[in-house]
Amino acid sequence: MSDDLMAGLLQKLDAATLQLARAPDFSKPARLQPVVDLARRVLQQPGGCAAIEERAEALEEAGVFEGSDWAQPAILVPSLSGQSLRGSDATLLVIEALSELRMLAVAKSRYQHPSLSAVAAKHFLTQVLALNLPILFGSTGESERETQGRLALIPSLLLQHLAARIGFEHIIDELINEIWRILQQRPIQVDPVKQMITQISLCQANPEIDLGSSGQGANRLVSALFGPTQACHEDPGVEVYQQRLESMDTAALQYEATGFARAMHDTGLVSPYHAVLLKQVAQHGDQLLAEALGLSATGRDCLLCFHELVHSIIDNCLFPETAQGIYGLALTLERGIFYQPPVAPALWRQLGLELAPWSQARLSAAFGDAVPHRARLMEGVLCMLGLPLGVGQGNNPTCQSARALSMWSYNDPDYLLQMVTWAARDDEIVMHFEGKPISSRESLSGVAQTLPLDLDPVSLLVVPHLDRIYAEMGRHCIGRDGDPHQWINPEFHGWWTGRGFRINVDVGTGHLHELESFYRHFYAHYHPSYNGNQPVIHPQPAGIAVTDSAARFIGWHAITIIRATVDPQGTTRVYFFNPNNDSGQDWGNGVKVSTAGHGERFGESSLAFAEFASRLYIFHYDPLEHGALADVSEQELNDVISMVENSWGASRRPEPGIQAALSN
Amino acid sequence: MNKDPNKGYIALLGWSLNAVEAAETFDRRYVVVAPDWAEEYCEKHNIPYLSWNFERLNDRSMEIAETLKEMGVDIAIPLYEETVEWAGAINSVLLDNPRLYGQSLLLRDKALMKRRAQLGGIRVGIFEEAHDKEDVVRFLKRVNQTLLKLDGDPNDPIHLKAFDKAGCLGHRVIRTPDEVDSIPDEEFPVLMESHLDGWEFAVEAWIHNGKIVFLNISEYVTLGYSVFVPASPELEKYRPQIRAQIEKLIKAFDIEFGLIHPEYFVTSDGEMYFGEVAYRPPGFKVFELLERVYGFNAYQASMLVFDPKATAEEVQAFFPREIEDADGYAGCFGVYPRRRVVSQLVIPEEVEDNPYFESHELTPPLEETVTKRTAFGTHWGLVYFRGDDAQKMHETLKAQEELDYYI
Repeated sequence: MSDDLMAGLLQKLDAATLQLARAPDFSKPARLQPVVDLARRVLQQPGGCAAIEERAEALEEAGVFEGSDWAQPAILVPSLSGQSLRGSDATLLVIEALSELRMLAVAKSRYQHPSLSAVAAKHFLTQVLALNLPILFGSTGESERETQGRLALIPSLLLQHLAARIGFEHIIDELINEIWRILQQRPIQVDPVKQMITQISLCQANPEIDLGSSGQGANRLVSALFGPTQACHEDPGVEVYQQRLESMDTAALQYEATGFARAMHDTGLVSPYHAVLLKQVAQHGDQLLAEALGLSATGRDCLLCFHELVHSIIDNCLFPETAQGIYGLALTLERGIFYQPPVAPALWRQLGLELAPWSQARLSAAFGDAVPHRARLMEGVLCMLGLPLGVGQGNNPTCQSARALSMWSYNDPDYLLQMVTWAARDDEIVMHFEGKPISSRESLSGVAQTLPLDLDPVSLLVVPHLDRIYAEMGRHCIGRDGDPHQWINPEFHGWWTGRGFRINVDVGTGHLHELESFYRHFYAHYHPSYNGNQPVIHPQPAGIAVTDSAARFIGWHAITIIRATVDPQGTTRVYFFNPNNDSGQDWGNGVKVSTAGHGERFGESSLAFAEFASRLYIFHYDPLEHGALADVSEQELNDVISMVENSWGASRRPEPGIQAALSN
Repeated sequence: MNKDPNKGYIALLGWSLNAVEAAETFDRRYVVVAPDWAEEYCEKHNIPYLSWNFERLNDRSMEIAETLKEMGVDIAIPLYEETVEWAGAINSVLLDNPRLYGQSLLLRDKALMKRRAQLGGIRVGIFEEAHDKEDVVRFLKRVNQTLLKLDGDPNDPIHLKAFDKAGCLGHRVIRTPDEVDSIPDEEFPVLMESHLDGWEFAVEAWIHNGKIVFLNISEYVTLGYSVFVPASPELEKYRPQIRAQIEKLIKAFDIEFGLIHPEYFVTSDGEMYFGEVAYRPPGFKVFELLERVYGFNAYQASMLVFDPKATAEEVQAFFPREIEDADGYAGCFGVYPRRRVVSQLVIPEEVEDNPYFESHELTPPLEETVTKRTAFGTHWGLVYFRGDDAQKMHETLKAQEELDYYI
């Protein structure tokens, strides 16, 4: 089907290009749109960039760039490319992509351009790649998702194509820093990172690529995946490695085990060899097993108590293809949650779970059939239990559902396991809204328009259900005054969500609303200096007005407040979970979300308390736990309010005329 | 393109960017005759231009004919229904053939045209002029009496059409006397026709020296919504009969040259009923569709057959072979918003992912509230498709009717 589509598109694109080429100057603008539309659809297909690269010369000669800056490639500025690639204007995005593929054709000397040399073109593209690494990594943020929707495929396919054709050696050091930054957040989904590391190792292994002095920092990353220990450092393949293990004594196995554990805990990545070792040492007793999982005293205790369960999991679910589950298992043991009475029995149920045909089809579509689907799902379950803050929403507008999964894993793991069971086994989840049951089967549509595939195994099965239920709860609130989250959040996320609710935006007008009392309440409930130094007990859902790096409003976003405490530098910070895939974001006016270096735990984001407050628009609290309004200093309050008014609140100030009229 | 002074000098009546583009890239001199709003554009882009506002023919009508004659123009080509009688009047002067004007009036009035066709031995449905609502009610009753319907049986519908408008403009379907009240008085007089159950199709026929030089059959999937070319093999099997019908039409209307665009019904027993004929390019961009599959520019084709200086050899060489030379099927669909309130244009994903989908001419909505359609109305823009299989094309076009392009 997709071959059909591509062939059909290319035939039409060529015809449209020919029409554009033949058109006299005055009708070129009218002939351009079909070319742009078709090029857009081609670029959204796998292999589309290569097809456009082949046609770059014909497209330019037909006049796609005529009358615009792109007609003079020599004056183009690499740093401006990001704007077009991340924008919502499809035409601009496509023209930018066409221009870069034109540059690529020039750089590769398949197109002799009258005003651009191959060297200049290559240099330009290297800079574009380096400047747009986040897109290359597939870690698109809230901003791209809100503004681009399906278009977001194009920049990522484009940059992957450019990177493959230009060569990774030019961008490798930037890639490495980026990989470490992402790994510090310990995401559950590491496939994009693994792909990047694979690319780097291929570059390193290719004698034709001269990396020069670049790429040094990649050694740990590459070895963690492809050869973490002495006995597999040359990446011999799992069968050879298995044979080597069989002839090892306990001391040698011990040596291997610590090597794997170190690599895994250093990077958050698990080598497929690790799974081979694990199965081997599982036969040698729990001492070696604990070593191979890199467990502390807590984890070791847990392993010993739940010996049979852990062994069953290893036997049935952990294979080289699902090696990442080893890290999930290790961290789950460390959390000690097996000691909660329902968790171990729930995992036994998980081990024997019969998957509904629909669940199997979904897993098969996303992950293939190399390992049993139940094992794949268990890998996902272990990772989600081990890394509650590693949940990501993929490129989908389902932050609410991702947040709920993370919160359950963090706070109520057996409830999460129950949800997974309902979704995977029964293909139906029923939740209650104000006493009325809501079935995910009967609710027609969710927030997401299509079923997402770019998710971890658990999210893949559960999110479509949650998304429909969430949307249905929203439909139940139609007609009520005020923001629907105040009713939905406690029902959707769990009893611990405070029934008290504050919002600083008037839902009817969209204007800012009672900022001062909003913040005094927020400080009173969350700031350790104003709430009697009470740490946050349960994770609380909150709403953020996300802004871009120029502090312009992008959209509303769901996060979880995890902690509020003083960081090692003495600043009071809010630590929160952001369900998007890369939380290190620049929200403008100096508000940069930190993910490491300020006392963050894996997966946490943090901001200084006032900075966080300045992007907050919704929070929950326990209405019974009322305290005095926080006596926040005028100075601090004004700082926060001014940060609001100079960012997302800029266009939301109440009109002065109305105020005056009311006060009369 | 270099212009050949030995070939005809052509006036295009009305503004059409595609027609101008075709003229600009053709080897004949041309001039665009259009209202003054086109002047700035033409000046800016060096397009030969003569300003004229096409209202009803009046005392000054001779003026434009004489101006064109002085310029050395050989022939005028109508691009729109409203310029058909102007072309007739102008060409009767340019070619010194007064009959052309009378012919154009016949082709402009749907009632006259039907009578003429009837006189020429062509089958038409029952039709009548209506001057007011009472005429409509009477006609509706009589048609249904003729069909031996009893009181209470559902009526067969009748069709109301403006005499002199193109295509579906002003076209209404009436089933009950109550619906007659919804017709505004200013729409009268109208032409009323009985409903024919059958397969409706249109033809584009280029005529040179009184002979058909190229005949295309356009297949409607749903009238007013979608059309594709060439027609499916099922319809193309009627080609010999259709060709014979067109030859009758040429004779009845005494057409020597030009492009005609008639519409027919073929009933289940293979009988052809004449609907109407226009002496101008079809709506629904059938010209564009023909170019997609045959590769020739249909505007240039029209200029050629209108040009009195064109030779039979040149005409012969210009046109491809019917059906054989078409490399696929091209169709288009006219989009109407389906919701009462719309805020944006979104091409449905199944369309984006359909290999037949080619391009569209839709624009984002200017107003949120969609005006209620009374008559067939005007679509908001066309969506183009192209592919290799007639059946699949038919299904694709049909499926569009259930999709929301405006949400």
